[in-house]
Amino acid sequence: MLLELKNIFKWVNSGGNRFYMLKDVNLKVEKGAFISVMGPSGSGKSTLLNVLGMIDTFDEGEYYFNGEPIHQLKGKMRSHLFKENIGFVFQAYHLIDELTVYENIETPLLYKKFKSSERKALVSDMLDRFNIVGKKDLFPAQLSGGQQQLVGVARALIGNPKLLLADEPTGNLNSKQGEEIMEIFKQLNQEGVTIVQVTHSEKNADYGTQIIELLDGRIINRK
Amino acid sequence: MMIVNYIKVAFRHLLKNKLPTSLNIIGLTVGLASIMTLGFGVYSYYDADSFIEKKEELYTLKTVLANGDEIDQTTYPLLGEIIHTSPDVAAATHIQGWNWPWLKVENKELQKNTKYVDTSFFKVFTLPLKYGNPKTALQGKYEIVISDEVSKQLFGDLNPIGQNITLDDSLNVTIQGVFKSLNPYSSLKFEVLLPTALLESTSDFKQGANWYNSFSYNYIRLKKDTDINKLEGDIWEIVMRNYESTKGLERIALASFLNYREDYNPTVDTIIKGSIATIVFVLIIVIINLLNLNTSVIYNRKKELAVRKIVGSGKRSLIAQFCIENAMLVFTSLIIAGILFIQVLLPAMNTIYGSRFGSIHFDLTSDYPIVILYVLSGILITVIVGIIPILNIISMPIILSLKGKSQNTNKSFFVRNTFITIQFALAIVFICVALVLKNQIQYMNNVPLGYNPEGVSIVKLNLDYKDKEAANSRIAVALEELKNNPYVQSFSTTEVIPTSYRYNYNNFYDPVSKVELGIRKGHAGQGYAETFGISLIEGRDFDELRDASESKSVIINRKAMESFGWSSIANKKVVEKGGKEETYNVIGLLEDFHYQDMQNDIEPILHYYGGKRGLGYNNSYLSIKITPGKEDLVINNLKGAFDDIASRHEFNYEPMNARVSSQYKLLNGILNTVNYVAFITIIITCMGMFGLISLNARKRVKEIGIRKVLGAGTGTITYLLSKQFIKLVLLSCVIAFPIAWYVMDSWLQNFAYRIDIKWWMFAASGLIALSITAITVGFRSIKAASANPIKSLRND
Repeated sequence: MLLELKNIFKWVNSGGNRFYMLKDVNLKVEKGAFISVMGPSGSGKSTLLNVLGMIDTFDEGEYYFNGEPIHQLKGKMRSHLFKENIGFVFQAYHLIDELTVYENIETPLLYKKFKSSERKALVSDMLDRFNIVGKKDLFPAQLSGGQQQLVGVARALIGNPKLLLADEPTGNLNSKQGEEIMEIFKQLNQEGVTIVQVTHSEKNADYGTQIIELLDGRIINRK
Repeated sequence: MMIVNYIKVAFRHLLKNKLPTSLNIIGLTVGLASIMTLGFGVYSYYDADSFIEKKEELYTLKTVLANGDEIDQTTYPLLGEIIHTSPDVAAATHIQGWNWPWLKVENKELQKNTKYVDTSFFKVFTLPLKYGNPKTALQGKYEIVISDEVSKQLFGDLNPIGQNITLDDSLNVTIQGVFKSLNPYSSLKFEVLLPTALLESTSDFKQGANWYNSFSYNYIRLKKDTDINKLEGDIWEIVMRNYESTKGLERIALASFLNYREDYNPTVDTIIKGSIATIVFVLIIVIINLLNLNTSVIYNRKKELAVRKIVGSGKRSLIAQFCIENAMLVFTSLIIAGILFIQVLLPAMNTIYGSRFGSIHFDLTSDYPIVILYVLSGILITVIVGIIPILNIISMPIILSLKGKSQNTNKSFFVRNTFITIQFALAIVFICVALVLKNQIQYMNNVPLGYNPEGVSIVKLNLDYKDKEAANSRIAVALEELKNNPYVQSFSTTEVIPTSYRYNYNNFYDPVSKVELGIRKGHAGQGYAETFGISLIEGRDFDELRDASESKSVIINRKAMESFGWSSIANKKVVEKGGKEETYNVIGLLEDFHYQDMQNDIEPILHYYGGKRGLGYNNSYLSIKITPGKEDLVINNLKGAFDDIASRHEFNYEPMNARVSSQYKLLNGILNTVNYVAFITIIITCMGMFGLISLNARKRVKEIGIRKVLGAGTGTITYLLSKQFIKLVLLSCVIAFPIAWYVMDSWLQNFAYRIDIKWWMFAASGLIALSITAITVGFRSIKAASANPIKSLRND
């Protein structure tokens, strides 16, 4: 098992009332799984994904990643774990505007202190794989949405993460571009990458092997 | 390798944000260049005396008068007596000014600031010698030590030790040492040193160097743990035993050399303290400005920082990245500022202060400590402005910054508002200081002088004539021609003229009432009052027809008469103390006139008769009142006459008006400096504010859009965006006014004639600051307010 959430709660206090964003969430993610999280706006999908990705905190419960109790770890250990194991893909791509395609993909390797020759090899592989070699010296603003998201996925994958988290990765794309991205996800999953994605679209959700439905911070359905 | 990535990103960022980048670079460059220049002045000042070791053991002698005044001089023999009797003295020397002999080597001849010193000079002052041995130099009577500049002029690059120099065409001395020329800010000022033994063998010095005249500067190095009080007591005993008169004397004080420069020249002290304060202020403003602008830039980069964290960056890398970006900015500015400093500002500073204190020059080989200091400051600034703005962002949860949410709490608003308030308060202080100073200078220029400099030309008479006799008779002929020249209304030859009275005092008493008075004195002659238009209220002017008896006559000013307690000078006599106790008849009374600038009060003054008009014994100036328009004619005639006379100096003259206005040259220089600083303070502050308001407008773009959709006009929105800043400026005024008032009030105390600080000066400074703010803020706000609301709302 890759990770497990036990009785996770997350809330905000407002005007004497407590609003739950996540309420008693229990979730097991096996290695090699492809889970789609669905639910209406405000149901806590993204919050769940951010908790999984350790970029947001939770108030109660236990979170084991690869057997490590995340809820007990200090910030530094947690971010180390995060750096080594998790890749993120966003709806709004979140590329760094001042870096070229090549440099955007390269950045995670810099933070992991890879040698120059290794970086070159890895980034070239990634460019080849997504067929964007010709775009490598362009800046994000010069690319279409689909191309930007390809770069986003490439950047998420360059560090060879065990878990890929995607928050509505096709939300800003047209259907053709969306399909392309989903095909890539499917292929990645077949190669052994564990994926958790948040999506509105039934069609995209069907690419996954499991579907979890959220409503008001609770898991109401598992398929 | 990360660093390459950082630099690349930094570079692209700076290029992308051209406006904030250029604002930053301009503000920084101007600020840093000013700091460098002032800093270099301060550095030179504190470095100037660094060659003197163990200054805390050094003392000078001061004569303290019964009225509380202190004089830096004592009688000449006193020091020798102290050395003989006190075991506490490790070494002591006079630094005696007397004359500046002409130094001649082959056909080169020059005259430089010359001082006479005792054999222990090099034990008192550890002045390093470039050539020669301080242990043996100046031990003999016919020896000389010169500065390397003098050496260069006389001998080129050769080592001149052992060479001979002829003094005043009459005496040969041997060069025993060459020292590196002294920094103009140094406590010691000389270029040539001769032994006092030489001076003591001249008859006119011997005559004056008695136990009555106080004209000697004494420097003493004491042994450790000397009891100063006891030594002062011993010295006083020597004084009581030997002084011809101790009337009016309180004691002889040992003054620590550590305070010497400040005592000696309080204006320099003001300038240096002012410079330090200005450096600190400008530095604060520059840093605040950078912080503000960076905070505004960071706002747009929250997303980038968040993304970097998500792809694996630690806090430290983010800080490093941001510091590198700032380092590029700071060091670019530092380099441009350095060029500006050396090429523009330092020469400008030298033209302002150089004539008074001497020019300072930047020399990398000896001034490298200050370069290191500047680089270190650059690093420090970089770290401060690189870290503070992002601390807030990097410590907040990634998800918040990713969503572009700002944790802009009241706290950070408060901090930023405080920054702006401080900046404006400083700017307003500078404006106030400039305004008050400007008014003070104007006031001093407008106070009636009590004499009329209009149309008076001043010709210098001490030109170091080769043959004084010949000069005397040639000048007599020239003056005779002046008498007959129809364009010459009057003329006189005197030792003193307004703007140039010597620090030459003696005590005089009224033989009837026995009232005794310290009076400033000098020699004048027939036509002095008339030439300068000084009104003679009683008695008569000096008269050459009574030449024989006139040497017993003196003319005093009203202040002197009043101080003696007289209401008229009729039949009054005064007796000069010391020596022969000469009695003089007071024959004339002059209305008080400002013989020195308005920083000083009018004191009692007395004029002796300097003899028939001519070179005389004491006369330094020939003053001529000429019919307007005919100056050139008269002066050219005179020049012809002087050109016949062999002299070492050239004929030179100056309109009296120029002398009067040059009295305030230094103050005008300070005013220019303050104006400049006020200007750059305002500019830098405005740049920072412009950046902030841009940020503010961007943050509130949605709010502005909604308000416009709801029907708000451009005016309302401009007001909405600007009012916060206007409030801050008003607050700054409240803080700045008392500070400015205090600073200027204490400074004005130095002026005998001073303006009252008026409320409108503050009002005007506040108004200036306010209008500049209104223009800056208004300009940006109108732009934001007139943006199309549909666009800004759709963006969200």
